[in-house]
Amino acid sequence: MAIDGQARFANRDTVDFVIVGSGSAGGIIAKELSTAGFSVVVLEQGPFRRKEDFTHDEIDVIVRNSLHGDRYGQTFRDDATKKAEPGFGAQYAQTVGGSSTHFTANFWRLREIDFRERSELGPISGTNFADWPISYAELEPYYTRVDYEIGVSGAAGPFDSFRSRPFAMPPMPIKSSGVLLERGAKKLGLHPQAAPLAILSQPLNGRPPCINCGFCMGFGCEVGAKSSTLAAMIPLAQASGNCEIRPESAVSQVVTNDANRVTEVLYFDRDGVEQSQKAAAVVLCANGAETPRVLLNSATSRYPDGLANSSGFVGRNLMFNGHSQNNAVFEHPLNDFKGVQVTRIVHDFYDSDEKRGFYGGGGIDGRPFLSATPLLFALSGADQAGRNWGAAYKQRIAQEFPRQMSTLNSTTSLPLDSNNITIDPEAKDRFGRPSLRLTYKDHPDDLAMAKFLQDRASEILEAAGAKRVWIEPVAPQTGSAHLLGTCRMGDDPSASVIDRFHRAHDLRNLFVCDGSSMVTSGRGQPTMTIMAMAFRAAEHIGTAARNNEI
Amino acid sequence: MKSRFLSRRQFLRDSGAVAGVSAWPGGTAALFALAQSACTSKEQAAAFKELSAIEAREFEAIAARIMPTTDTPGAREAGVIYFIDNAFHSVLHGIRDDMRNGLDEFAKDVAARFGGARFSDLPEADQDDMLASIEDTPFFTGLRTLTFCGFFGMSKYGGNRNDAGWKLVGMDPHAGAWQPPFGYYDAEYMEGESNGD
Repeated sequence: MAIDGQARFANRDTVDFVIVGSGSAGGIIAKELSTAGFSVVVLEQGPFRRKEDFTHDEIDVIVRNSLHGDRYGQTFRDDATKKAEPGFGAQYAQTVGGSSTHFTANFWRLREIDFRERSELGPISGTNFADWPISYAELEPYYTRVDYEIGVSGAAGPFDSFRSRPFAMPPMPIKSSGVLLERGAKKLGLHPQAAPLAILSQPLNGRPPCINCGFCMGFGCEVGAKSSTLAAMIPLAQASGNCEIRPESAVSQVVTNDANRVTEVLYFDRDGVEQSQKAAAVVLCANGAETPRVLLNSATSRYPDGLANSSGFVGRNLMFNGHSQNNAVFEHPLNDFKGVQVTRIVHDFYDSDEKRGFYGGGGIDGRPFLSATPLLFALSGADQAGRNWGAAYKQRIAQEFPRQMSTLNSTTSLPLDSNNITIDPEAKDRFGRPSLRLTYKDHPDDLAMAKFLQDRASEILEAAGAKRVWIEPVAPQTGSAHLLGTCRMGDDPSASVIDRFHRAHDLRNLFVCDGSSMVTSGRGQPTMTIMAMAFRAAEHIGTAARNNEI
Repeated sequence: MKSRFLSRRQFLRDSGAVAGVSAWPGGTAALFALAQSACTSKEQAAAFKELSAIEAREFEAIAARIMPTTDTPGAREAGVIYFIDNAFHSVLHGIRDDMRNGLDEFAKDVAARFGGARFSDLPEADQDDMLASIEDTPFFTGLRTLTFCGFFGMSKYGGNRNDAGWKLVGMDPHAGAWQPPFGYYDAEYMEGESNGD
């Protein structure tokens, strides 16, 4: 499919870089390397939707799940002794811009503690809990680039780590859910703060500010105010004249030669025909589920356990972040279906505290959650107690759709051998690519932290004057949009997949940057960190290429 | 009968982490087809594409108890049955026969209990009792999902006539954008309340 206004490369031509995935990391690295003068082909398995293609159509987006693509090629189980069943565990968008098109846009930075928590707290038995090889200070300049080049609105909070520049623009206007979270939290002596969001409150680089349409979570932004790489980076990459975005290209394998070099990338085009793109170097940015899938599916006799996997860490340490949810209704209308999801957060419980009796930390946010759009509300967002159909339920929908809010409580996840991505021995997707298999069960500490935050959130909602508060029981998760830790970075090649500059320990011209690079999970909103890592990785990869060190 | 619909509990659980876990059978073709095939003469009592007159009457009678007509329009006025017919004709063709068989079984139960009567002929209280007795079956949860989709989904799919679903929840679907203040509490806050200090 020819796309006007961008470079075009032949498959037989060896381009400087093939980037697999056009999402939060791939979109940034494509822009950085192409504007630096390198030739780049981006292979994206989803189609090239433009902002004009995004709608408020709940049946298409929420029920039919159109942004996710028709077929997942994945299975799920909660225990390695079980046979995995087809599932939806890895929840990510298949479209140019990846999941940055449909995310909710909560953009918390990690804090200094996240990078050295293992040193501070000591080891945790039975886990792969570790420090990062880099510090917050090393990543901070790149967080700031995300603020200003991708577009983040917000205001500094009392517990944030240092920032070299103030936010690029003020926070989004507060909503009633934010007012109520703030009110309840302050009454309890907590310190609510404005939510940092990858949504523009002011114009930036030709993009308009948010129009408060309310269709953020799970939907694409029809005006480009949500700071996806589709809105912020892909146009710049294409305008460089050095970058070809090649949509509907589903990568199956990275090919290596006897000299221990990556030489080309195999993929299926939209017609299911296998193609190959030659490249001097490859950057995998396919997300924390698909990146290990590609590496494991690229096994050869030289690399029987998969590419870049001499450590055995490819696919291990999958982290979802833990979650819990509270709901409340109030006397007056919040009309929380208007505007962005989250405008206030509570980070008083960010740090782990041994007095709680378990490891973990997290944050609480106030938002409409499943009461932002009417169909989702009727299907599952409204209080399901009692009969969830009939005249009384209809009355509840009418009365409570504008009066309901939720808190979403997000936590750490511990890195475990038993939570992982492997290749399903039987299942294949429509191209015949062996499916990825998720094996996942939240660590008891992750569940305990989710419950702890849920209890605090109930107190906040009660203090805010809720007429009724109810919870969704905390239970082990069977899927997530956060796919972290499966190709972790580290200095020790025997206990990590990539080095501190995102280069594979085992292959000099193979790089990985996405959620899989993360060593710990943070407290629940990883995309800001994935984007900061991408700016940093691109700088180092570009320098290495210029110095002939790839 | 084994439906491929997710149960409500499953839906709830799976949609907990993010929005957007399909309630439809995996791998169905695009629902876009629904829009194209949507009843073109939806303002009149158009012929059904898939449903017989009796099936349509019975499915509609069930939908009308799931979203009843009260002081506001219900499933009947919103044209939910046209949404269902369209869905069975296009992307949900694969479950049409399961749902049809489910209706047959349900009709037999009703007839056995009420002297040969059809569901649509029963008084509302009896209808509700019958539906309560099958509340946890895939047939009922499937119809519940279809009814809400037809009631709150975009009218291009055949239901939500005269924006009945959106009007019920007080949402102007044609506004598209909003300006603060959005609700009672942020309006109050903007007037300078100290907010819990």
